[in-house]
Amino acid sequence: MSKRRQRKLQTGVLAACVLVLTGACATSTEPTSTGPGLPEPVEVDSPEPSLTRLTQAQYGHAIVDLLGPDIAVPTSLEPDVALNHLIAIGSSSTTISPRGAEKYEEAARSVARQVVENEALRQSLTLCESMREWPACYEKFAVDFGRRVWRRPISTEEADILVGLATQAQEALGESEGAEVVEDDYYRGIEMILSALFQSPHFLYRVELGEPLPDDPTHRRVTGYEMATRLSFFLWNSVPDAALLDAAEAGSLGTSEQRAVHVQRMMDDPKLRRSVRNFFWEWWQLFELDQLTKDPTIYKHYSSDLGDMAAEETLQLVEHVVLDRDVDMVELLTTRTTFVNRRLAAIYNIPAVVEDGFGMTELPADGLRRGFLGHVSFLAQNAHPVSTSATLRGLFVRELLLCESIPPPLSEVNTALPEPTPDAKTMRERLTVHMEDPACAGCHALTDLVGLTLENFDGIGRFRWTENGVTIDASGELDGATYNDALGLQEALGENPKFARCAVNMLYSYALGRPMGVGDTDQYLQLTERFEANGRRFKQLMVDVALSTGFERVGEVSP
Amino acid sequence: MSQNKFHRRMLLKGFLGGALVSIGLPALEIFLNDSGSAYADEGPGDSGFPQRFGLFFWGNGMLPDRWTPEKEGSDWELSEQLAPLANVKEYITVVTGTGLGVPNTTPHAAGAGGILSGAPLLDPYSNDSFSIQSIDQVIAEKTKENTFFPSLEFGAKPGGGLSYNGPNSRNPPESSPLAFFNHVFGGTFQLPGAEPIVDPTLALRRSVLDAVMGDISWLKTKVGQADQIRLEQHFEGVRGLEKRLARLEEDPPNLAACEFPTQPLEAYPDIEGRPQLQEKNQIMSEIAAMAFACDRTRVFSNFFTSPVNNNLFTDAVAGHHQLTHDEPGDQPQVHAINLQCMEALARQIEALAAIEEGEGTLLDNCVLFGTSEHGLAQTHSFEEMPIVLAGSCGGKLKTNMHYRSAASENSSKVLLTICRAMGLDQSSFGAEGGKVTDGLGAIEA
Repeated sequence: MSKRRQRKLQTGVLAACVLVLTGACATSTEPTSTGPGLPEPVEVDSPEPSLTRLTQAQYGHAIVDLLGPDIAVPTSLEPDVALNHLIAIGSSSTTISPRGAEKYEEAARSVARQVVENEALRQSLTLCESMREWPACYEKFAVDFGRRVWRRPISTEEADILVGLATQAQEALGESEGAEVVEDDYYRGIEMILSALFQSPHFLYRVELGEPLPDDPTHRRVTGYEMATRLSFFLWNSVPDAALLDAAEAGSLGTSEQRAVHVQRMMDDPKLRRSVRNFFWEWWQLFELDQLTKDPTIYKHYSSDLGDMAAEETLQLVEHVVLDRDVDMVELLTTRTTFVNRRLAAIYNIPAVVEDGFGMTELPADGLRRGFLGHVSFLAQNAHPVSTSATLRGLFVRELLLCESIPPPLSEVNTALPEPTPDAKTMRERLTVHMEDPACAGCHALTDLVGLTLENFDGIGRFRWTENGVTIDASGELDGATYNDALGLQEALGENPKFARCAVNMLYSYALGRPMGVGDTDQYLQLTERFEANGRRFKQLMVDVALSTGFERVGEVSP
Repeated sequence: MSQNKFHRRMLLKGFLGGALVSIGLPALEIFLNDSGSAYADEGPGDSGFPQRFGLFFWGNGMLPDRWTPEKEGSDWELSEQLAPLANVKEYITVVTGTGLGVPNTTPHAAGAGGILSGAPLLDPYSNDSFSIQSIDQVIAEKTKENTFFPSLEFGAKPGGGLSYNGPNSRNPPESSPLAFFNHVFGGTFQLPGAEPIVDPTLALRRSVLDAVMGDISWLKTKVGQADQIRLEQHFEGVRGLEKRLARLEEDPPNLAACEFPTQPLEAYPDIEGRPQLQEKNQIMSEIAAMAFACDRTRVFSNFFTSPVNNNLFTDAVAGHHQLTHDEPGDQPQVHAINLQCMEALARQIEALAAIEEGEGTLLDNCVLFGTSEHGLAQTHSFEEMPIVLAGSCGGKLKTNMHYRSAASENSSKVLLTICRAMGLDQSSFGAEGGKVTDGLGAIEA
């Protein structure tokens, strides 16, 4: 519980600033018939950069993008850690542990070994025409492939070290004698270079050192290569391709007009899909679902693989609304469309549409289940193993969907809830304790009154009309909007401007690997205004973030 | 897997009907050097064997009213909640009545930081990270030069772990018994008496690691202060690995009690939604104890369960954390779970006591620190912190007693005492409100 509770302060502070500033702010980029046009430059004060470690997903995508699908991607790596709710932010704050360093070494050796044992792959990467030219071939490989792996040019000194390692390996392990040379010996050296490239901090971290703006040395931006990397990790969740690196080398990523060309190309690439999935996986805490535990004696539909299925439903809906249809993202909260396999269909009490895997279906028009708030991924995760939790569900809505900050409970306060009694059979009746005690009421009114509306869904997400024989009172209130059931809450959330603003806040924080700060206020206002003007279409928001001033800026390193 | 470990175990544990009796088998002379131990360094313990530190952590506190023993001093009896420790009572000291000096900013998280590092969290309202090293790493700083691993972290359901090298730098624990076994005893592990490994690729791997360290050092000159600290941690990890590879080319330490522990099962699937906590803990505790006996490390942390964990324990009607808050009255369900945690602690202590070392057992040269992040979890209390110490740490600590702090002393005093017993030259432990400059003399021998 505390894990969820503590991270929102900075964005909460920002949200307060925004309320004050909204009236004074007027950004004026009119949508045009061909699209909304490029965002105008705004004032941004960026913090100093930090090294961002590749997440487990990024490490895997990078290996596949660099070496193809034949490589078995190592999965035993430094664990991801979420901070301010996002793994993207945790990755720019946490370190590589001693155990992690060991795992990265093992992983790099495994990748290197697989490459040189794969005849086709090793030849496609490192063909050397004459065995006499090994050192030159090693150098060419180190410089060319190294540039892809480290996302920047390899210096002469770096190349020398890599070639030295290759030569050492070839000599120590090789079977060549005298003038007689064996091809396998050559690949011993290539294996060493790969092993060194993939465990280097230049691969494991995204390094941003920045440079002064050409026309304004008081501000700094990321370099061309760093921009290529920012774009590719944001839009593809992986390393840049050769075209992006070439653009960086040619200096053609410097302006937002230049970047727009590449951003459009990247938005049209299938790799966009995994990036969008990854963002929602982080934002909506779907990464916690692989640990989903329910008491199977209470919830017959539970099994240990349910969490992963539930996450997949939500991610397929995200792809459908955000990518395939490219409509107002509020539909994620209000749509009757969803994607179920047989197991989830059974929980929703609807017909399974396909025998295997997931199929698209419409939830019943006369039911209360709509959108993400009706998904097992939300309902079961934000509940206890044996019961619902109106507090956890409300807290998720407040903190993750509205980007509000709810302080932790006071210490030395008795937190016991009364057992169900003849007078207090429902969760609502039991939770009145929270409302009566002034030490609790301030925050629990914000969370519980939201969560209680979802009491029609039990701890795993099954629909129910009653609790302990009493009809559930699902009425509630959200920021002034009152309603009687979950449909009303879904509608109120969709109409609440904080939801769209929260999406902007989270995506921007995700893209830059840091929480939004006060120095981003103008940028935040501009992005929000454009997002609302563009019908809250998420793809356009991604483009806007990628082309925003904040996305290209970086603070000065303070040594 | 050798057969004879069963003989020794049966001798120690089996024949005597479960009651824990250790028999001081004489160490084979061939294994010992002139001073009677085979350790390169001479530990400061009275026994001539090195001292080791183990942490045993469980989440969500306990029930102070049923935890605190009635009588104090050496004429004490186990309380209701401590009953599972009956077999090891003579080896333990229970400290009650102490409290945390750090601010109670975030339930659970601030308590974990307070009891294990003696300091407030890095950012008390938005980041669970400790602000300074946890006690296991303070100790590992001193002991790691002599062993293969600087420290080991594991647990049946450990969460993200609470072993910190420094801010935002955690040592992730291993939760799969088999992965833990393979990490400590798989691959390159050599039994005493075996030949060193001869493998030309070891030197090449070290050359690569040199290059990696070179990259890290170069990068360190380019980045800001926070990143420099992160890179230093990374560098230390790589350097440690390089040293481990070098050690493979040396003779393995010749230690009489060192042998392969039992290999765990592939998996321990949940039963009726309940994780197999006791089974996992039992086998991992034995692996950890053998890691000490083989001098693979001198510091481990067993994170049995984590703060705020909502595990379904055997026979419990709800998750642990939910019960600590929702269960009314005197919380019989919570009590039953606390007993299961103490059973797990007993297994860890017994695993150490089951291995003979010199005239006594391995446990005699250890101090095991058992604790949790709260006293009473229902109110997120920092008072009445649960503290169990096991082993005399080579004769430095008293055992078989209950010390009650009448004046609600700072819990960090116990941590300072542990550090000093481990031979650390510490003038203080902790920071800010959690900082102390005096240990707890009453439990020092």
